[in-house]
Amino acid sequence: MATASESSEGPFTRWVQESITQPENTYRAMFYVVMVFFLFTTLFPFYWLLVLALTPNDAIRGLGLLPNGFNPGAFVRVFEVVPFHIYMLNSLILAGLTTLIVLLVASLAGYVFGRLSFPGKGVLMLAILAISYFPPAAFLIPLFRLFNGNVSITLFGQTINSPVLYNTPGAMVLPFTALFMPLSIFILTTFFSQIPDGLEDAARIEGTTRLGALFRVIIPLSAPGVATAGVLTFISVYNEYFFSFLMSDGQVAKTIFGIVSASNHWAPLLQGILSYQTQYAKFYNLMAAASIVGVLPVAILVVVAQEKIVSGLTAGALKE
Amino acid sequence: MSTDTPSGTGSLGSFGILGWTERLSETQFAYLLLVPTFLILGVIAFWPLLRTFVISLHKDALIGSKTFGGFVGLQNYVNLLTGSGSVGAMLSRPFLPDVAITSTFPFVDVGNVFTSALSVTLIFAVVSVAFETVIGFGQALVLDQNFRGRRWVRVAIIVPWAVPVVIQGMIFFLMFQPDIGFVVTPLHQMGLISNTPLSSPQDSLFIVIVADIWKTSAFMALLILAGLQSIDRGLYDVAEVAGASAWQRFRMITLPLVLPTVLVAMLFRSIQAMRVFGIINTVTSCSTVPSLTCLTYTSWAQRLYGSSATVAFTTATIIAVLVGVYIVKYRGEGGL
Repeated sequence: MATASESSEGPFTRWVQESITQPENTYRAMFYVVMVFFLFTTLFPFYWLLVLALTPNDAIRGLGLLPNGFNPGAFVRVFEVVPFHIYMLNSLILAGLTTLIVLLVASLAGYVFGRLSFPGKGVLMLAILAISYFPPAAFLIPLFRLFNGNVSITLFGQTINSPVLYNTPGAMVLPFTALFMPLSIFILTTFFSQIPDGLEDAARIEGTTRLGALFRVIIPLSAPGVATAGVLTFISVYNEYFFSFLMSDGQVAKTIFGIVSASNHWAPLLQGILSYQTQYAKFYNLMAAASIVGVLPVAILVVVAQEKIVSGLTAGALKE
Repeated sequence: MSTDTPSGTGSLGSFGILGWTERLSETQFAYLLLVPTFLILGVIAFWPLLRTFVISLHKDALIGSKTFGGFVGLQNYVNLLTGSGSVGAMLSRPFLPDVAITSTFPFVDVGNVFTSALSVTLIFAVVSVAFETVIGFGQALVLDQNFRGRRWVRVAIIVPWAVPVVIQGMIFFLMFQPDIGFVVTPLHQMGLISNTPLSSPQDSLFIVIVADIWKTSAFMALLILAGLQSIDRGLYDVAEVAGASAWQRFRMITLPLVLPTVLVAMLFRSIQAMRVFGIINTVTSCSTVPSLTCLTYTSWAQRLYGSSATVAFTTATIIAVLVGVYIVKYRGEGGL
């Protein structure tokens, strides 16, 4: 481009001409615009929470886009008005417990579906798949009765009532396990089926039992798949709403030492967050601060395990 | 059986139970390993499902200590669909009175609990899944490119998916608080929402949909990204040599090859969207935006177990029909 044409055509005309002759640059520019737009829309709500949390609550009315004051004390206050750390710890324990059970049981099922052939395989897989189609609400009434000791069976003339699990980890961990196990079974089936038969055969010739081969050869070799299933289950449980809302009355221990005592009704994070809405209805800064604290464990998990999450959803969702 | 028979596998026999599993046929061994899975699924999923169906065939026990009343066959379903009988009497509050544009809203009988809950759920599902598919596709195309800092952009785009529903709800509850104002005031001045959006059914439905799009587009993006990354890159090189423009490459290669994945992702999302409850319960309330699961929950909380079971089972049936239609229609394309 000569300097003469620059003055006669103007920068806009030149820009249009360049973008027609070199469309790749235009696409690149468009790409960055779109990317920035997506980053803005996904991250803005978190920024907004931070603005709310840092603004003292009496200055929060008519708040603009910047904090109106600086009050990091809200992040301490959050734990004082409500035992929020206990709610979070309950949630983390419930998620960890569910993840352990799911991984153990789904490993066995994944091994069966991924590596064995037997009559009825397709039908059984379909039955497991069907579970993930049903809304949790369709399980609610019988499960609630079951977990409150209202279901009895008669065996040999003895009537046995179901154990009272309401307000204990069991009332949440069991439904979570049933809800999230199908996805883990799919993921593990996919990963286990990709292990070459030769490796398992070699272990068997060495004298390892079938189960030994599963736990000492197949599972270690599928470690990425197991990690993926674990991360997805953990996040799903931490995020779950329906049974978390209904299977505990919302009470928690007052101190961290009381967590295994009967006063802890295992109310998860959800109940902690909702308790600000009901008990501290106008303390918007506390609600925002609690939300930020509550999101941290999963946010860290996403940063650490993003590759696993992507590969896991690929395997789990697209391999049916 | 295991201990007194001589072991055929040498030292393994001494392991007892492990030695016993060695002598099972492959089929027996497979069924043995599936016992824990089906024990859990049986007690926590299959049995409750059947039980819910049985309860839905019984009357509500309005008085006394019994959970449900006498056997009434499909009467609860008839009552639910027509909005009459004990279901209609107990739940006949029209949930969405002002959604009706005229007193006879074109296709919804707003006086009927079930049809208003069904329409709320369907509007939510169709609108949110449509937007999530488009936005998720866009996000997946961005994440599929190579650029510096891709890892962190990916984290930023995935994070909303990992946010617990209750916190997602809290974010939008706070954002649309009239006291705080920064969103409500301008939107109200433009005439888009009322000045108390969280107690208006239409505004709340809109907010719940926006909240869902914010969180779940990321999920769509992840699934579609997986589809994009399985496309053979050689195809693009060939197309480029043949002189295809970027748009043509997208139109002729990317779109047809990723379509099956998009359809599967849409099916997944539709199933989830049909169960919507948590976000509604946090942002607003079940009486403002009554989804089908909300209806199950409110009737359950009022101890109308027969009616609640009927709504729950009807929801499950609607989802099953949706899945069925989807699979039949896209069997060839989706690889379902």
